[in-house]
Amino acid sequence: MNLQLNHLNSKAAAITPMVVEALNQLVDEGHIDAAQFATMQVQLDWVQYKTNFREVVSVTSVGRERDENKVLDMRIDTRQVTAENLRPEMLRALAVLDPVQCAADRVPLEDFKSFRHSIGWEFNKRYWGNLSDWERMTGKGYQEALPGGKSDGNQEEAVMDSVRDFWSLLHDMDKRKQLPAEIFIMEIGVGTGTRCGLFVDLFRKLDARRGTNYYPKLRVLMGDYSLETLDMSRPAVKEHINLCSFLAIDALNPLKTLSFLRHKILYIHSTNMYDNLPDEEIMRRNGEFYYVHMRAYVPMRDAAQISEKFRIPVSEIRATAEKLLAIGPDFAGDRGCGMSFWADLWKAIRLEEKMVAFEDMPDLMLPTGLDVPRLEDILAKVPGDLRFHLSSGALESFVNTIPLLHPRGYLQVQDIFVTDLKEYRVGFHGPGKLDGSIVNWVDGALLKGVAERTGYDLHFAPYKYRKDSKTSVLYTTPRE
Amino acid sequence: MVGSYAMPGWLERLKTDFFARRISHHDLDEIYDAAAKAAIKDQETAGLDIVTDGEPRRDNVVDYFLERLPGVHIDRSSKKFYYDFYDSSVTSKLPTASLGLVRDSQFLRAFTDRATKICITGPHCLTKRLRNQFYPTEEALATDIARVMNLELKALAKAGADIIQIDEPYYSGFPEDVKWGIQALNTLVDGVSAKILLHVCYGNRYGKPSWEGSYRYLFPAVLDAKIQQLTLEFARRGGEDLDLFREFRPPFELGVGVIDVKNDEVETPEMVAQHIRRALEVMPAEKLAVMPDCGCFHLPRDVAFSKLKAMVEGTKTVRREIGS
Repeated sequence: MNLQLNHLNSKAAAITPMVVEALNQLVDEGHIDAAQFATMQVQLDWVQYKTNFREVVSVTSVGRERDENKVLDMRIDTRQVTAENLRPEMLRALAVLDPVQCAADRVPLEDFKSFRHSIGWEFNKRYWGNLSDWERMTGKGYQEALPGGKSDGNQEEAVMDSVRDFWSLLHDMDKRKQLPAEIFIMEIGVGTGTRCGLFVDLFRKLDARRGTNYYPKLRVLMGDYSLETLDMSRPAVKEHINLCSFLAIDALNPLKTLSFLRHKILYIHSTNMYDNLPDEEIMRRNGEFYYVHMRAYVPMRDAAQISEKFRIPVSEIRATAEKLLAIGPDFAGDRGCGMSFWADLWKAIRLEEKMVAFEDMPDLMLPTGLDVPRLEDILAKVPGDLRFHLSSGALESFVNTIPLLHPRGYLQVQDIFVTDLKEYRVGFHGPGKLDGSIVNWVDGALLKGVAERTGYDLHFAPYKYRKDSKTSVLYTTPRE
Repeated sequence: MVGSYAMPGWLERLKTDFFARRISHHDLDEIYDAAAKAAIKDQETAGLDIVTDGEPRRDNVVDYFLERLPGVHIDRSSKKFYYDFYDSSVTSKLPTASLGLVRDSQFLRAFTDRATKICITGPHCLTKRLRNQFYPTEEALATDIARVMNLELKALAKAGADIIQIDEPYYSGFPEDVKWGIQALNTLVDGVSAKILLHVCYGNRYGKPSWEGSYRYLFPAVLDAKIQQLTLEFARRGGEDLDLFREFRPPFELGVGVIDVKNDEVETPEMVAQHIRRALEVMPAEKLAVMPDCGCFHLPRDVAFSKLKAMVEGTKTVRREIGS
């Protein structure tokens, strides 16, 4: 048995011997046979998100379809686990490997599939479309739900540095007589509009102070897939409204809306957008690649409570969830009741995993910009077992955004990045839940590998403007 | 064609396999030959009048020439990926020797009955990618590169290459160099008995432009170039700069780019025809050649093929209209 402690703190240190003791008992009692125990992998994770999709203990069997003896993978959340619940949760996780017991333990909301296609992302999308309903219900703005209580995108000092960098670029182009007649900049995922408003405010002041008159040439594109969010962002840029365009764009493919601006935009920025795009995970175990397929479910104990509270039969919860996603919280005729159901359901949702070997997937589809040889090249630097995010949405968004960049333009992304694949061995990086949305760390190392082949080097700078911030700032430079 | 045809993903992987010593040079050469034949066939099938070998042997626009240029030091550990540029330097006067390009031209002509074109990266571009540790100026280095390569061009012409295109994509990034860049070009083509084309674009590295601006910087310096055709990109950039040909009335032909090679969307024949009609406003048909904006290196093969077909169809439409 291989036990891996991914994050060391006092609680994890205290629980580790109990895990070994509990496993020993399970072997003695015949719940785990000796051969299984010999190859078993046990991961102790600290899940930093207070609300997440994890059970206290979950168990998956790993192997190709043709493998007779699959390996058991046990994952324990050291935040949720206690001395009291450890053994029963282990037993429960082992028991649900049996499909009959699994059916009695949970209400699935979908079939197994790669996480990027999971219903979880439909909830996420619906959340942004009904943001004001959520804010009304919780009594707080969405930024207050962030781990730091506010967005790192809106710090004046950070924005001022960005403004200075951008002004320097324009000034250099101006000196070389390369300044275009219209200076396009874009914010993808506008949030409250605060960051964009602040950027243009500060830019106007700097421009006036230096007498360069670039401000009137600015064309500010504010892009978001949620019309409601776009509307909510307008007041933040009201002083510059004549320079601003509000565009409903698909963050996964901004080029689709903006192809007329190919090679024209000088500065594209986003804050905490990549971490909220559909994602999926891959695991390499003993040299084999596996897609981590997932299915969202509601534990039976929660399903029973939801059933009673909303007078919906347990068997109808899946269909009701689909109705909510299709129609919105008005699906029940009473928005308050619909929101309450939504919140309870979201809180209860967990993700069950199934490992599917690449060789068992005839229609393997990696995200845009990535193929298996490229993936192998990138992973060559990190030999051994590894489970990591593909950050499919971020990759797709990146690949479909950079063609918009002017040859001198650059992309700047503030987000939570894993910048070295080895970091995946020492911590859990999502998915986590934030109110009604999903958050995942972004696989910056993979993104960097893909970006190199598209003509850009990526650089990650720590966000220095707030102590203990987990944010990094990605920026691009063109490769020669 | 301007030069390169689509670079297949499988060939990229095989190039990498060669760097990793997983396949031999001999095998790679055979693979290159097969890829070149396929590229020639695609161009013929699309209906092109003038074809190239598709340039599968070239890692990029620079290294193929610097590797062959005698006296240039190449750091072979400096590439992570075949498409990267080598770190190259020159530390003493360049000696004179063959670059071995005649074989490429002969191979091309052995597998097609169409007119052929061979593309040579020009001395200005090569100079910009070399660390100069000997010559007093970039201009001096470029002139000496041109002197050495001039012999190769003469050998190509003697071996039957009838159209030679000189690629100078870095002019657009360094417009202040154009005057001496043209002089180096003239040294390169001096006494070469072939039709000489000069191709100037705004870069096509990774399928994206490296610079933006107007071709006005080329004029009037380019009027001194000893060339028979100037080929420029217009499909992606629009036709505004075509008016420069009305304004300066150059003595050479215009090669007009009508296919955007930095965009996977396939043009319709009518879009191509519109570009040609616009060019005809400034240049008579007998002095006009039609081609993509630049090499098709970064396009998927099916897209490149469809674009070439659209180019041919659009050209036929205009030929019918003007009765040529």
